[in-house]
Amino acid sequence: MIHYVCKYTPVELLKGFGEECAVLEEMPENFEMSDQIAHANLCGFGKSVIQAVLEGKVEQLVLVNCCDSMRRVYDVVKSTGKCKFLYMLDLPHNDNECEKVKFAGAIRRLKEAYEEYSGKTFDKNVFLKSFVQPATEKHPYIGVLGVRVSGVLEEMIRENIHMDVENLTCTGGRKLSVIPEELQAMDEEEMFLMYADVLLGQMPCFRMNTSTRRNQLYLDPNLKGIIYHTIKFCDYYGFEYASIKKFIKVPLLKIETDFTSQSAGQLLTRIQAFSETIEGLEDMDSGKEISEEARKRMESGVYYVAGIDSGSTSTDVVILDQEGKIKSTMIIPTGGGAMMSAEKSLERAIEKAGIQKEEIVRIVTTGYGRAYIDSGDDSITEITCHAKGAHYLNPGVRTVIDIGGQDIKAISIDENGAVKNFLMNDKCAAGTGRFLEMMARTLGISLEEMSTKGLEWKENVVISSMCTVFAESEVVSLVAQNKDVADIIHGLNVSVASKVGALAARLGKSNSGEYMMTGGVAKNKGIINALEEKLGAKLYICDEAQLCGALGAALFAYEKCKSGE
Amino acid sequence: MAMNIIDKFGNIVGNESLKNPETARKILLTGYRLQEKKLQLFPDKKLPASGQYVAQVVMKSIIQALAKPENAAMVSIFVPGELLTAAGLTPYSVEALSCFLAGTKCEQAFLRKTVEEGFPETMCSYHRVSLGAALTGLLPKPKCIVYTNLACDGNMMTFPYLKQTCDRPSFYIDVPYEKNQDSIHYVADQLREMKCFLEDVTGKKISEEQVEQTISNSRKAAAYYQKQLKLRKDHDPVTTMTNELYAIFMCHLLAGSEEAVKYTQMLLEDVKNAPKEEGLHVLWMHIMPFLQEPVKDVFNYSNKVHISACDFVADGFREMHSADPYEAMAEKMVNCIYNGNLDQRIEMAQKLARETEADGGILFAHWGCKGTIGASSLIKSSLEASGLPTMILDGDGCNPANTSDGQVSTRLQAFMEMLEEGKEEKAS
Repeated sequence: MIHYVCKYTPVELLKGFGEECAVLEEMPENFEMSDQIAHANLCGFGKSVIQAVLEGKVEQLVLVNCCDSMRRVYDVVKSTGKCKFLYMLDLPHNDNECEKVKFAGAIRRLKEAYEEYSGKTFDKNVFLKSFVQPATEKHPYIGVLGVRVSGVLEEMIRENIHMDVENLTCTGGRKLSVIPEELQAMDEEEMFLMYADVLLGQMPCFRMNTSTRRNQLYLDPNLKGIIYHTIKFCDYYGFEYASIKKFIKVPLLKIETDFTSQSAGQLLTRIQAFSETIEGLEDMDSGKEISEEARKRMESGVYYVAGIDSGSTSTDVVILDQEGKIKSTMIIPTGGGAMMSAEKSLERAIEKAGIQKEEIVRIVTTGYGRAYIDSGDDSITEITCHAKGAHYLNPGVRTVIDIGGQDIKAISIDENGAVKNFLMNDKCAAGTGRFLEMMARTLGISLEEMSTKGLEWKENVVISSMCTVFAESEVVSLVAQNKDVADIIHGLNVSVASKVGALAARLGKSNSGEYMMTGGVAKNKGIINALEEKLGAKLYICDEAQLCGALGAALFAYEKCKSGE
Repeated sequence: MAMNIIDKFGNIVGNESLKNPETARKILLTGYRLQEKKLQLFPDKKLPASGQYVAQVVMKSIIQALAKPENAAMVSIFVPGELLTAAGLTPYSVEALSCFLAGTKCEQAFLRKTVEEGFPETMCSYHRVSLGAALTGLLPKPKCIVYTNLACDGNMMTFPYLKQTCDRPSFYIDVPYEKNQDSIHYVADQLREMKCFLEDVTGKKISEEQVEQTISNSRKAAAYYQKQLKLRKDHDPVTTMTNELYAIFMCHLLAGSEEAVKYTQMLLEDVKNAPKEEGLHVLWMHIMPFLQEPVKDVFNYSNKVHISACDFVADGFREMHSADPYEAMAEKMVNCIYNGNLDQRIEMAQKLARETEADGGILFAHWGCKGTIGASSLIKSSLEASGLPTMILDGDGCNPANTSDGQVSTRLQAFMEMLEEGKEEKAS
C-alpha cells in the first residue's frame, strides 16, 4: 500500500507497479507522538501524517511539495526512518509548458526511485488500465471545498446533508481528462509529458500561482451550497475563504478543525444548522408528528408547548400557551448531564406555571445537549432557534450576536426570522463567557463586579492578545504594573468587543437593521458598551435575551401545533 | 518618553489610515524623513561605521519607496535585487515594510483590518501587516510586483491577492524544490524573462553590461562578507538586533547595489578593528525580533553576548559560482538554505557555528512561519548532536500580541546562564 496526500500525485504511475494506493487521512485522537518530535504549531494535518507514521500505519509514502508544512513533514518523517519508501515529489506552481516539462521529469524520477527501491518493473498496461473516467452527469450537490477533510468528517457531512455531497477539497475531485488509448501509442517521454499535462490540468489547488480557474468551482449551477473546510495553521484555504466569500451566491458554511476527532460535537451543530438553512424548514423532517393524545388535548382548547435549550452553562426552558404567549420560564445551571438538567428545568418551569405535565403537547430541544434529551419531540439547532426567538422578541432585529459560555455566534436573519447566514468562533475560548470568567478569576473579582467596574475607566489600557492564555499573562503583568482594575477590565471589554465586532463585520454589513445581543454575556454592561461603540449601533437587549434559544425552540413547537390544527 | 512619542505617532498613523490613507502616508513619511535627518546628524555613535551607514541606506530606500511609488517595485524578499537595481527601481518587500510599520507602532490597525477581512490569524504577521496596509490604502500602488515562492508560502497568498487588488503588472519566479542543475537553468530562464518584463514596465532598456555590473557588485559584497565572517571568532564588533536585520535587506533587496558593496567593505573594516571581547558567541538563525525589549536587553550593544553570525544573512551573501549572471542569480535562489529539504539549512548553521566558534545557537521561530516552525525541532536536535547548544525561541517579529515579553526574557536569560556555565566548565 502506498499512501499519498495530494491530488497531483501520479497515482496511476504507482498503480503501474501493481501497488494499491490510498489517501492518507487518519484523524487521530491526539498528536501525542508527533508533538514529541515536531513543533506543536505545525498544521493539524501535518501532525496527523507524522503521528500515523510513528504509529506504524504507513510504510510507503509519497508526499508532494505542497506547502511549507508538508516540506517540513517530509524532513521530520525522514528523520524517524520509519518509512520504507519516502518520496517528495516536486510540484511546480504554474501549468505552462516549461512547468509541464519540469513536472514530467519529476514524475520520471519518482518512477526510477520506486523501481530502485522495490525492484519491481513498471507495467505500462496496468498503468493505462488504472485511469478512471470521470462521470459526466451531475445532480444538484453540496460541495465540500477548502482543505482536505478526514474520512470521519466527510461521513458526518454526508449523513447530515440530505443532498449529494461532492468532495472538492485538495485531495478530492481527482479527475484526469485523459483517454488511455491516446497514451498507448506514445513513447515513454511523450507519455509522461502528456501525463504531467493532465495532472496539472486538474482544477488548480489554491497553492498554485494561477488559481483563478477555481472560479468554476463556485459558479457551477448545480452547486447548491458550500461547506468550506480549513485547518488551524493552514493559511492557504483560510486565505482563499476570506478572499472569495463575498462573491459566493450559494449558502456557505465555514468549518475549521485541527484534524483531530475531538471537535466533532461542535461541528455537528453547524452542519445540521447549515442543512436546515439550505433545505428550508418546511421540507425538513420535522421530528415526530403530533400524537393522537396531543391532538385530543389540543382540541380541548387549553394546551402548552415547551422549548428546552441545553447549553454548556445553563439549561433554559420556555413554556408557551395556546396563544403563543410566554406562560413560564426557567433557567438553571447545567450540571449532572444534559438529560437530568433538562428534566429538572422543565419540571420547575411546569411548577412555576401551575400546570400539569400532560398539558404540554410538544417539546422542542435545542443547544449542545439537544441530542441527549429523550423527552423532546424534535430537536433544532440553537442557531435556527436563536433567530426565531430574536424575531419574536423584536421583529426589527437583523443581526443576533450571541455570546455564550463556550462560543460566540453572529447570526444574520431575514424579515421572517429565518437564518440568512451565520458565523461561529473556532474551538478557541477567546472572547467567550469562559474567557471573561477566567479573567475575572485572575483579577480576583466576581463576574457581576466585572460587568460594571470597567465602566469607570480612565486610562486606555490595551490588551493586545486575544488568546486566553496570553491575555491572562498580560493581565497579570498589568496588575503588577499597578494599573487600575477598572482600566484593565475596560481593556478586556474592548478586546472582546473587537473579536465579536470582527465576527459581525465578516457576516457583512449589508443586512441593515437592529442588532440584538443574547446569551449570558448580554448581562455584562461593560461588554455591551464596548461592543456598541465597536459596531456604531445600539444593541437591543431584553430580559428574555438569555432565553432566546429556548423561546425559539418553543415557537417551533407552537407553529407545528398550529399547522396541525 | 521616547516610546510614548512613537506610540502616539503610531496611533495617529493607524487611525488616520482607516479614514484618510493619503494623509496617513504623508504623516508617516514626515516621521521617516525626520528619522533620516536624525540618522545623518546624530548617527548611533555606539555602533561602528557600517552600522551607522546601513541604517541610513535602509531608511532612505523605504522613504523612496513610499514617496515615489511610481518608481518602486513591491517584492518578496528573495527576489534578486540585482535585476531591480539594474532597472533603477526601488524594491520594497512586505517584510521590510512591516518591520518599519511595526517599528512605528502602527501595526495593530493593519492587523485588525486583516482580521475583519477574515484572513487567518495564523498567517505570518509580516504578510498580514503589509496586506492590512494595502487594504487601507496606506501603501501606494507600486510600478510593478515581483514575487517568488521561495522560502515562504505567505508569498503565494499575499502577492496574487495584491496584484489583483492593486491591478499592477506582476512577475512570478517559480523556484523548484529540487536542487540540481536543471532547476538552476529553469530559474535562470525565468530571470532572463524578468529582465524583459522590467524593460517593458519601465520603458527603459537594461543592457547586459548593467546586469553584469550588478552581479559583479554582488560577488564583491559576498567576498567582503565571507572574509569578515572568518574573522568573527577573534573579533566582536558592537551590534544590535536592528543592525543585523538591516543586513538582510542589504543582501537581498539591495543586492547588486553600490551601497551593498560599500556596506560589506565597511563591515569588514569594522570587524578587523574590533577587539576580541569576553563573553558568548551566539549564532542567530532566521529573522530578528528587533522590537522585543527582552531581546534588545540581552543583545543590543552588549559586550557579554555577541551575535557572531546569522544564517539568513550569510546565505544572502553566498558566493555565486556560475559565470553567467542569470545562472549566478538562479544558483543563489535554488541553493538558498530555505529551499528544498532541511539538510543545507542545518549544514549552514553547523558551518557558521564552527567558523565563529559559537557557544550556542538561537533559532527564532517566528509565529506564522510554517517552514521554520516545522523545522525547529529537527534543527535543534541536529545542532545539539553536533555539539552546539540550541534554543528555539518562539515569538513574533512584528506583532507583539503573539508573544510575551516575560516568557521570552526568562527563556533567553536561562539559555545565556546555561551557555555561561557550559563555557566555564569547558575552561576549567
